[in-house]
Amino acid sequence: MTLSADLQLELGSFRLAAKFSAPGDGIAVLFGPSGSGKSTLLSVLAGFRRADSGTIRLGGQSLDALPPHRRGLGLVFQDARLFPHLSVRQNIAYAWKRAPEQKRPDIEAVARFFDIAAQLDRPVTNLSGGEKSRVALARAVVAAPDYLLLDEPFAALDGARRRAFIQVLLDMHRNYRLPMMVVTHDIDDAAALATHLVVLKCGQVAAQGAFLEASRVQEFQAMLDSSDIGTAMPAAALRSSHHGRSLWLRADHVLLAAEEPRAVSARNVLAGMVRTIIAESEQSRLVELDTPAGAVLARVTPDAVRELGLAAGNKAWALVKAHAL
Amino acid sequence: MLTAVEIQVLSTSFTVAFWAVLLSLPPAIAVAFLLSRRFSGKLALDGLVHLPVILPPVLTGFLLLLLFGRRGPIGAFLEQSFGVYLAFTRQGAILATAVMTFPLLVRAIRIAFEAADARLFAAAAVLRASPMDRFLTIALPLAAPGILAGAVTAFAAGMGEFGAVITFAANIPGQTQTLPLAIYSVMQQPGGEAQALRLAVMSFTLAMAGLVGAELLQRRMLRRLKG
Repeated sequence: MTLSADLQLELGSFRLAAKFSAPGDGIAVLFGPSGSGKSTLLSVLAGFRRADSGTIRLGGQSLDALPPHRRGLGLVFQDARLFPHLSVRQNIAYAWKRAPEQKRPDIEAVARFFDIAAQLDRPVTNLSGGEKSRVALARAVVAAPDYLLLDEPFAALDGARRRAFIQVLLDMHRNYRLPMMVVTHDIDDAAALATHLVVLKCGQVAAQGAFLEASRVQEFQAMLDSSDIGTAMPAAALRSSHHGRSLWLRADHVLLAAEEPRAVSARNVLAGMVRTIIAESEQSRLVELDTPAGAVLARVTPDAVRELGLAAGNKAWALVKAHAL
Repeated sequence: MLTAVEIQVLSTSFTVAFWAVLLSLPPAIAVAFLLSRRFSGKLALDGLVHLPVILPPVLTGFLLLLLFGRRGPIGAFLEQSFGVYLAFTRQGAILATAVMTFPLLVRAIRIAFEAADARLFAAAAVLRASPMDRFLTIALPLAAPGILAGAVTAFAAGMGEFGAVITFAANIPGQTQTLPLAIYSVMQQPGGEAQALRLAVMSFTLAMAGLVGAELLQRRMLRRLKG
């Protein structure tokens, strides 16, 4: 089911004017820095806050007049928000009892899928952070929503646990065919998850579209930290231990060679052609390379550009260390 | 050992306080929940609920007589429609006690509702729980320790209610004579101090047991909620 919205809301000096459409068959990432209005937008979508004007539609049906419990939208919060007076099983059953009868999944099977079967009869108050997040996901899946919103559900996790959680989200999306929108301000998380991108900046949608294309848009790149500037590349095109749909290749992590490199330690060598060279500052140039796997950005010095003879239309090779992925 | 009169007084006190708390619990929960939310007229309702705490208890009893007495608007209606007469009866003592302990109950329960994590209601809403569903399945169980503690405190206080009860329900042995009323009666008799002291010790012990019991119960339930 496609989720689309065109709404306006004024909160003091902050103005939210969001118009977007997220397809029903993938994972949309709602991307934006903190303060861009992501959480406000989510609470309007879920029905906890009323927009001044505009409309929200899910699969062609207007949600505007419906209270939160009748919108068919699931929402996973940053904090798991498990009910402390109920056990893990009772938390999940809470969702099950209220789900449409014909769509109710089997609780035991869902618990196995999320690797919490052994915890089913424990109180939720002494679960680890990762377990709490997985129980929250299981509960949201069992509610069988038409569309699932996730508000930075991995905010509390780091490193390996975060990557594992992203894998769980991808598996969950595939297994339950649940259209989802995930909020994040982390470019690596966005690249790993997104098929679709909605970029929010100061309450406005700055860019949107299929992730590989929309992430190249200038409005999006301009929002990133200088060190995060880069391009998305399908994970399959690169040798990497990472899971996910695509990888974020930072311009700082890409080396360029003017001749085909041999016997190098870099695990990924991509041949391509220089499309443009952008003068970022006096000390740095962004070289955009077209490769068969997609565009690649490399940040180099003006001296390197001169010495390698890099120019639009010339052949070049991009080298990426596996560690950078 | 307790004398027959003492047992009768204790039993009256227990019965009156028990029914007073039991009957005022549902409206107290409703009012407390309302007061834990934002709405217009909240200050007025809050003031009305707490009136019995501020007014002299005798005045509360007098107001009850005006309302529920034979010629009072509610009293006349009750007597004509249902043949129920409250003033100077056991039921009247229960009503007076309920009115006096109502603010205590509301205060304790309201604090419990306010302490419950409101974010959990949003979590329940996106799991398709309606507002009433959320109240019954999330708000009420989470407030249970506070509700129980409030009820026990109100019960202990109800056993000692004096002014409103003696004004509205009088001091009838076996009917409306609760512990404090009995103490008052024996103190009026010459040489009744020893008997008064015995009753006072009983009253004190019961009140302390109630307060300590409420505290222990609340702690135990909170521990269960927090793991």
